[in-house]
This record gives sequence, structure tokens and C-alpha cells, in this order.
Amino acid sequence: MRRTWWLWGASLATYAFLYVPLTIVVLFSFNDSKLNAEWVGFTGNWYRTLFGDEAMLGAARNSLFIAVTASVAATVLGTMAGIAMHRYRPRLLPFMVLTPVAMPEILLGVSLLVFFISVFGEQSLSLGTVIVAHVTFCIGFVAIIVRARLAGMDESIFEAARDLGATPWQTFRLVTLPLIMPGVIAGALMSFTLSIDDFVITFFTTGAGVSTLPLQIYTMIKVAVTPEVNAVSTLLMALTLTMIVIASRLAPDALRGQG
Amino acid sequence: MRAPLCALALLAPLRVFAADVLHLYNWNNYITPDTVARFEKSCGCKLVQDYYADNEEMLAKLAAGATGYDLLVPTGNAVENLIQQGALRPIDRRLLPNLKNIKPEFMGEFFDPGNKYSVPYAYSVTLIGYNVEKMKERGIPTDTWAAIFEPRYLERVKGKVTVLDSQRELMSAALKYLGYSVNDVDQGHWKQARDLILRAKPYWAAFNAASYIKELTVGNIWLAHGYSNDMFTAAQDAKAAGRKFTIGYSTPKEGAVLALDSMVLHKSGPRPDLAHRFMNFMLEGRNSAELTNAIGAGNPNADATQYIRPDIADNRAVFPDKAALARMEMLHDLDRRLRRLLNRMWIEIKVR
Amino acid sequence: MIRLRAESITRSLVTGPPFLFLFVFFALPSLIMVVASFRYPGEFGGLAPLAATRPGEDAGLTAENYGVFFGDWVYFQILIKSFGVALLTTLVCLVMAYPLALLIARSPKRHRDFMILLVVLPFASNFLVRVYAWMIILGDQSIFLRPVNTVLAYLGVEPLSLLFSGFAVIVGMVYVHLPFMILPLYTNLEKHDPVLLDAAQDLGANAWSRFWRVTFPLSLPGVFSGAALVFIPVLGMFAIPEILGGKDDWMVGNMIKEAFLGTRDWPFGSMLSIMLTLAVLAVAAAAAWLARQGTARA
Repeated sequence: MRRTWWLWGASLATYAFLYVPLTIVVLFSFNDSKLNAEWVGFTGNWYRTLFGDEAMLGAARNSLFIAVTASVAATVLGTMAGIAMHRYRPRLLPFMVLTPVAMPEILLGVSLLVFFISVFGEQSLSLGTVIVAHVTFCIGFVAIIVRARLAGMDESIFEAARDLGATPWQTFRLVTLPLIMPGVIAGALMSFTLSIDDFVITFFTTGAGVSTLPLQIYTMIKVAVTPEVNAVSTLLMALTLTMIVIASRLAPDALRGQG
Repeated sequence: MRAPLCALALLAPLRVFAADVLHLYNWNNYITPDTVARFEKSCGCKLVQDYYADNEEMLAKLAAGATGYDLLVPTGNAVENLIQQGALRPIDRRLLPNLKNIKPEFMGEFFDPGNKYSVPYAYSVTLIGYNVEKMKERGIPTDTWAAIFEPRYLERVKGKVTVLDSQRELMSAALKYLGYSVNDVDQGHWKQARDLILRAKPYWAAFNAASYIKELTVGNIWLAHGYSNDMFTAAQDAKAAGRKFTIGYSTPKEGAVLALDSMVLHKSGPRPDLAHRFMNFMLEGRNSAELTNAIGAGNPNADATQYIRPDIADNRAVFPDKAALARMEMLHDLDRRLRRLLNRMWIEIKVR
Repeated sequence: MIRLRAESITRSLVTGPPFLFLFVFFALPSLIMVVASFRYPGEFGGLAPLAATRPGEDAGLTAENYGVFFGDWVYFQILIKSFGVALLTTLVCLVMAYPLALLIARSPKRHRDFMILLVVLPFASNFLVRVYAWMIILGDQSIFLRPVNTVLAYLGVEPLSLLFSGFAVIVGMVYVHLPFMILPLYTNLEKHDPVLLDAAQDLGANAWSRFWRVTFPLSLPGVFSGAALVFIPVLGMFAIPEILGGKDDWMVGNMIKEAFLGTRDWPFGSMLSIMLTLAVLAVAAAAAWLARQGTARA
């Protein structure tokens, strides 16, 4: 294991870069000032406000539900797409998978809105339409990562499995899946993150009364991004942390890869 | 992996199966939580709000066919737009006995003569807000648009000025400064306004529609083009934060844009009955005054005056006198050709 | 025979569902918008009807939106500037992400989960909140900047104004997109065989040589994936230039947003989005072609 000092130094610098703003977010959730501008004093009030803020909590619940559902669906479909693109090299699928990633979100959002309304009617906008929209733009990310993972893998493993009489499903379950698992997990994490943070597409595809956290926060920008928003972000991070810790206990070898 | 996911599914939002739900699509922070609570108690129903930060956002969503909203609170030109599209349901005056509370000068506006569709809610003025001490120190006049357009003033506050990131608002300010109407569509005048803006642009820090309140309060910015209720909030926040400076705001003498927001009924709204109850509720002086006291919103309700905090009622920027009111104009909507022309000009402004 | 049938069933089962889903929820809606770019803007916003309902009204299809784009250099200018910002962001992300991805890939397995977690965690908070945190860090009154500026003032140099600038935009873009570079790089680097590096060392290669001639070329698929996942979203972004940018930091994403949410000119917005998408696909195709040339020669 070659670890030189510069590798550690550069990595720590990157981690620091990632965490300084984060520290500010968490710190300022305890800031005794309505403005998110500079440190005034310590208070836990914002968390109290948060728990009384039904609108914000509802939005947070929606966001989580949407993110989990959408990332599961996107990971399944995206993994299938990634494998398909690598194994079978279809002509049309790569284009359909990758263009949602290339397209500006606004176009995706507006097009889905127009589509839902013209096909499913005017009352159709709801939580479901948001989830579908999120899956659409997340599939590409998962597929790209899974395909990158498969590229450069030794094909002989799959051939060996087949020669040994394994059915395609067995090959997938016992050989392919474990090998691509880090890619699948990375894709799932990416989808979750994208979904929970999405503003543009969600904006266009939610129904009346369905709000998500980014929408809620965005509408607060004008007045003040009060520390209540920091509080909800901090809690969201704590929740994600807990989820990931639980997941890693249940599937410990997932990210480490078997290759 | 499965167990935690199942647990999370339980967190799935439970539909609110309240029998009486009113859907309001409103500007953010345009109604206080106390008012909402009192309304809900008085009607025994639930008020569900969705928010927009800009008329255009709301119009865009509606233009795509989004439905389900009972009430909207658009600004004048947006009301005009919605009426012409046939998207609104007429109001039933018999259900609005409190309509008489509105001051006559705010009834029968250009966008809805006869008030067949709209009920005035609140208004704001687009003006300039500033750091009082810094303006005095640098000798910048604060009663004129020259403060944000004249290089001889701007060079003293270079990099400390923001203007609104809105095509109509910025053009209107320029047109007013040049002595034209905000609804002037003469291309020659527009070009003059554009050149005025481009001449001033190098001194500006940013086009900013959202965070200028905070930036003023913190002291990063000393002069901002913005809305009266935002400036009110900034002034309050600066005082509350114990700053060594004060935030002031004033309507330029050349005139400004007045934005009157009205409550309207969207034709797809499922509960017009509840909507009328809400409108009548908000037409009561006491309820209407709450918003003014909270964010310094201009109030067109005569009955509200007695409930408004005296310092706000005396504020000429929030409640302009007749002379100032005469110099203010409301924005009319532009047709699509003009919108395109303006957009082209705006791109030039942004890029050059 | 049976093997072949199983093979083709498998192929349909694997390719089918994603294809179907995307066809319904992506291809069809996009087609609607492609047609939209050939229509007139509606009088009140949105789209004009395809068949004229009033005499003299503009309706039907037209290429005038594209005419507007090609008839004026300013649109190209913004597109090129946006590409520049995206390219810079991608490069900075690559430089910052690579050491970290390398470190995680080479760390003991029991540490890796935690290190990846540390990378992903910030991004479970909210995008806007993180961008606002940068406003705090880069603002003139921030505790980070004030001492620096005091020193500069002492030396007689103009104080740094970092907020509302191109610098702030790049910082924000890099910050938000860093994990999109780290994760693909990591998943690729993780499967590099350390034996190759040992062999290279035995053959006399020094550390830099080992990196540049063994590790880096092998990691190229990861690099390209990461680059794609950074470059493309950055191009369409409008929120960061809006919040952190100054008067000169307008990008094509802002222009598109303005078209849909400001001028309500959907055909124009659709046209711009399609031009952007085509430009991106062109760049992606070129990059893929280059990559194939590269691996062919390797």
C-alpha cells in the first residue's frame, strides 16, 4: 500500500474543501440570528421552530420518500441499462439513457409537465409524477457508472461462468452483480443525492399541495434563508448518515468490491 | 438493505383527508402564520399554500396547464394576462361584504376595470434601499434613480451596488429616469434605456433579485434596487442585529413602479366557496393590517389603517402621498413580439 | 439452441424495461418540445396553437426560432463562455478529485466505506444551503476574508472582492459537482491491480512514471465518466451563477431559464435547450471517438 505524503495532503485538502461550508451550515443552524450571515450566538431555537413547521416537515417527508423510491427504481433500471449497453451494445439505448443527462433540466421539467397534462389529464400532477420525473434523469447517472465499472473488466470471467453451465440469471447473480456492486451502490447514492436536491424538474412536475424541501427552501430565499433551513439540512445529513451506517451493517462488502 | 427501506416507506406522506381544504398559490411570506391560523379557525377548514417567488414562475406553471389552485395572488399585469386567457372565475360580490373597505384609488385598475375578477390584497413599490451612513459619507443623493445610473455617483460606490435581475423592473427604472413611461414601447426609447444601463453596468456588483436584503443588512452591499417590503425587512433586520449602520429606502422623485397584488379565483379551483370566505376574511382591516405590520407591505384597505403600526403608517415609501402616487405607474403586460424584443435587449445587457 | 434463446430472452429482459421507461417518459416528452421549438410563442406565454383559431394569428410551424439563434453572434458567445466555465470546472474537479479517489481506492477495505461516506455526506444536505454557505465564506464581511483584506489594505493593495464574481461561480460549481467526479474515478481505480504497479517499479519506473504511464491511462474510462457527469450539468446550471455570480457571469442556463420563466417564450427556450443538448452530444461523441483512438493506440 503505497501512500505518499502528497497523496494524503492533497486528499485532506479536498476533504477540507468539502467540509468547511458544511461546518458552516451545521454551525449556523445554532446561530442566534435570523440572517444566515455571521455568527451571533448559540441557540437551539431553530430546531424547535423546525419541529413546529408543518410545511417544512411535510416537504422534508416528501423529499425523502421521493428520493428513496426514485433512487431504488433508477438504480434497478440504470443497472440494467448499464449492463445492456456494455454487453449488447444496442444502438438506440445509449442515446436514450444519456440524453436526459445532457439535456438542461428546465427542458426535461417542462416537457414532462406538458406530457403528463396532455396524456394523463389536468389533475394528474402529484407525488407520482415527481417520482417518475426523478427516475428519468437519474437512470443515466447510474448507467454511466455501472458501464464504467464493467468496462475494463476481464470478460473471461463471464465466459468461464457460462462454460461451467451457469444460466444467465445465475451468472448475473453470482458473478456480475458482486463485481459491479460498488458501481451500483455509487449509482444509488448519486441518484438519492440528485433526487433529494432537485429543484428545477420537481418545480414543474409537482401537483398543488405537494412540496419538497428544495422547493420550500427556494421560496424562502427572497425573505431570508433562516437558520431553520440549516437545521433541516443538518438533520437530513444526520438521517442519511444513519441510513448509510445501517445499510453498511447489513451489506458490509458492498462498497469494497469483490474484484 | 430491505429492512431500512421498508421503514422509510412508513414515513411516506399521509394524504390530508380534510374535508375542507383551500389551495392558495401565493408569494412566499405574503401572509403571516397568525393570520392563517385565525382563518382556519374561523372557517373550520385547512389552508394549503404553494409558493412562487415571481409572477412569471406562476404564469409559467399555469401556462403549462397546472391546476388545483383555488386562489392566486398575481400582480396587475399578470391579472391582465390571466383574464385575457380566460383562466379566471368571476368573483361573487354578494359574498364579499368587506369589499367596501378598499380605498377607491385602488379599485377599477386598468387590468380589471369594474373588479369583476380581482380583489386588491397588498402593494409594493420598486425603489432603492441603501446604507444611510455610507450614502451620506460618499455624498450620494438617495431620492433619485441617478444613484444607480450615473457614473459620477457610482464610481464612489463601485462594486457595492446591486440592481434587480428583472427585465421589466430594470428597464422601467431606466425609462423613468429618462422621463418616459414604464409602459413606453418606443424602440428608440428602449435603446436609450439600454445604453443608460450599459453605461452604469461596470460599476454594479450584480443583478440580484433575492439576496440583496441580506447583503444590505450584512454590509456587503451599500445600495440596492429592490422592493419596498424587502427594504423594510432589511431595515428591521439591521436594527435587530445591532448594526452600526441603518438601512433607509426612498422612492426616487422621477417616479417608480407600483405593483398591486390582487386575489383572484382560478377557474379550476375546486372550492370557490372557501375562496370567497378567505377573500372576505382578508378584506377585514385587522387581518389585512397584519401583513403590513410584519413586512411593511403597502395596504389598500382603508379599514386597516387603525391597526397599522404608526411608524409604518407614516412611512412615505410604504404609504406614498398623492403626489408621489401620481408619479408611480403599474406595469402593463407586453405582447409576445415586444417580449421577444425586450429579451433580446436583455441578453445584450447581460453579455456586453 | 436453447443457449441462444436464453441469450436473446435475457437481452430483451435486460434492455427492455429501461428502454420502455425512457421511451415513454423521455423520448415522447422530448419530441413534444422539439416540435415546440418550431412553433410560435403563445400570446400569453407557452405555445401558440398549431392551427390558427383567429385570422391573422401566428400558428403552425416555423423555423424562426432557429433563425434568431443563427442570426446573431451573441448566442454563440454565451454558449462558448458556458463551455469554458464547464471545462474549467471539470479540470479543477479532476485535479481535486483524483488524489482523493486514489487514496480511497488504495486504502484498506475497512476504511473505504467510511471515506466514501465522508465524500457523499455533504451532498445529503441541500444544494441551496450549501451555495448560501459559500456566500458567507466569500462575502466581504466574512471572517475568512476580513483578515486577508486587512493585510492587503496594509500593503496598499486593493481588497479582494470574491463574491459576485466568476471566481465565486467556479468555486460553487466545483463544490457542488466534486462527488460526481470522485465516485466514478473511485469505482474505476478500485479495480486496478496493484501487481501492475509493482511490475512497473521492478522495471525501474519512478513514482510519477508509474502514475502517468500505468495508473492514469487505466483510469481513463473513470476520468471520462466523471468528466461527463460534471461538464454536462454545469453547462445547464443557472442557480449558481444567479446566486454567486456577478454582472458578467451569465451563462446559457440562465438564458434558458429566462426564456421559460421570464419572457414566457417557450419556443425560444426549447430551441436554446435543443441547441445546448446537441452541442453537448457533439462534444460527448467527439470525446468518445478520441477515447477510442486512445485505447486503440494503447
